[in-house]
Amino acid sequence: MGNSSTFRWILTVVFTLLIQVLFLRDLTIAYFAFCFLYVWPLLKAPIDTPVAYLMLGAFVLGWIVDVFYNTHGMHAFATVLMASLRSPIFRLLTPANGYDERSHVSLQEMRPLWFFSYLFLMLFSHHGVLFLLEASDFNLVGISLLRGLSSCLLGILVFGILELFNLNK
Amino acid sequence: MNQLFQFLLRQRNFLLFFVLELISLWSVFKYNDYQRTLYFNTTNQWVASLLAQKQEVQNYYKLRDINRELASENAQLRQEVFRLKAQKAPDLKLPYYINEAVLNQYQPLACKVIDLTTQQSQNYLTIDKGTKDGLHPGMAVISSTGVVGKILSCTENLSMVISILHTNNTVSAKLKSSGELGYVKWAGWQPEVAEMMDVSKYKKVVKGDTVVTSDYNAVFPPNVPIGIVAKLGLKKDGNFHDIKIMLLTHFSTLQYVYVIKNRLAWQQAKLEQSKPKPE
Repeated sequence: MGNSSTFRWILTVVFTLLIQVLFLRDLTIAYFAFCFLYVWPLLKAPIDTPVAYLMLGAFVLGWIVDVFYNTHGMHAFATVLMASLRSPIFRLLTPANGYDERSHVSLQEMRPLWFFSYLFLMLFSHHGVLFLLEASDFNLVGISLLRGLSSCLLGILVFGILELFNLNK
Repeated sequence: MNQLFQFLLRQRNFLLFFVLELISLWSVFKYNDYQRTLYFNTTNQWVASLLAQKQEVQNYYKLRDINRELASENAQLRQEVFRLKAQKAPDLKLPYYINEAVLNQYQPLACKVIDLTTQQSQNYLTIDKGTKDGLHPGMAVISSTGVVGKILSCTENLSMVISILHTNNTVSAKLKSSGELGYVKWAGWQPEVAEMMDVSKYKKVVKGDTVVTSDYNAVFPPNVPIGIVAKLGLKKDGNFHDIKIMLLTHFSTLQYVYVIKNRLAWQQAKLEQSKPKPE
């Protein structure tokens, strides 16, 4: 990564975090769909990022969000899980001609089918675990999974729209 | 030995994964228990100041609502004063008196809400008074319209409140008209709706009845309104009413709350301690 792109990267992280804890925390659609914008940098990290760095970054990111959400480690758990599942998901979804030519996860370089199934798997692994942990109540398992699924669909919509803005650059 | 190192080196990503997840889980189970000192949360000074600023901005846009709420509370208080004045005279014939200490047992302290959530599976509030102002964990928190929760932990200047929108936080309650006892528990998703449990199906329950805190409550003063019976049904096991209540506290617009200091709490605790223990 060059100097300017590193700078942009840091800016993205700070920006998404601020939006998450100041605005998105209080937003919901019918108490079922929540938007977790702060995982965006993890989703978009270059494909060759070492898993160790990704997990450490995910842990720090999750921990900061935890502090604002009063959830103590739940977001950290979910983000680290998501970061570690990234390379298995890459392997599962390998495009026909491999990843050689590509270095970034984006709609422009990948096919829509690949991109959206990637989004779904990543987001669901994060949201599902997160809501189950957050409720930590056996009576709420159904509600939690439903919340995970609907938040996941909302996430795909939001990240899809964000991705459209990145298309023609 | 060398092979062991080689093995560890090969598995380093998995090890890192394992360690990080362990730290997270440890944190989840350590800090989400009740009555722990919490610093990694919104009572943290930096976090609180950021959230307080955000709340300031929101308050500005909510001034109209705040005024209306204050006015209605004033009206309600005035009404209560009238009622009490009227009540006072005829009672004097009885050789019973309430001493001044009991009369002033509960002392409210107004606190500002710095941060609250209503939409998560388990919800908390952060308020702007702490041990410096005499607060400590376990105190009741109410709003001008109803029950809010109880204090979970305090730092010097801030406190964290566990909201009644938390499935582990139940409140002992009764129906105002019939006096039937039960407890109120949040159902886990809508911030307006809670359930009243443990009311036998043979007891009469009417829609529109008010649910208030019971007299046998260690935390809340008696007769603080909680909600209004909105929907009636029968529980799956067939023995209890399934009562859905609309909460009277409007969490989404909550700005100020009252922490109830119970001045006689230590005396009560002392008395209860002196009970002879069955051996």
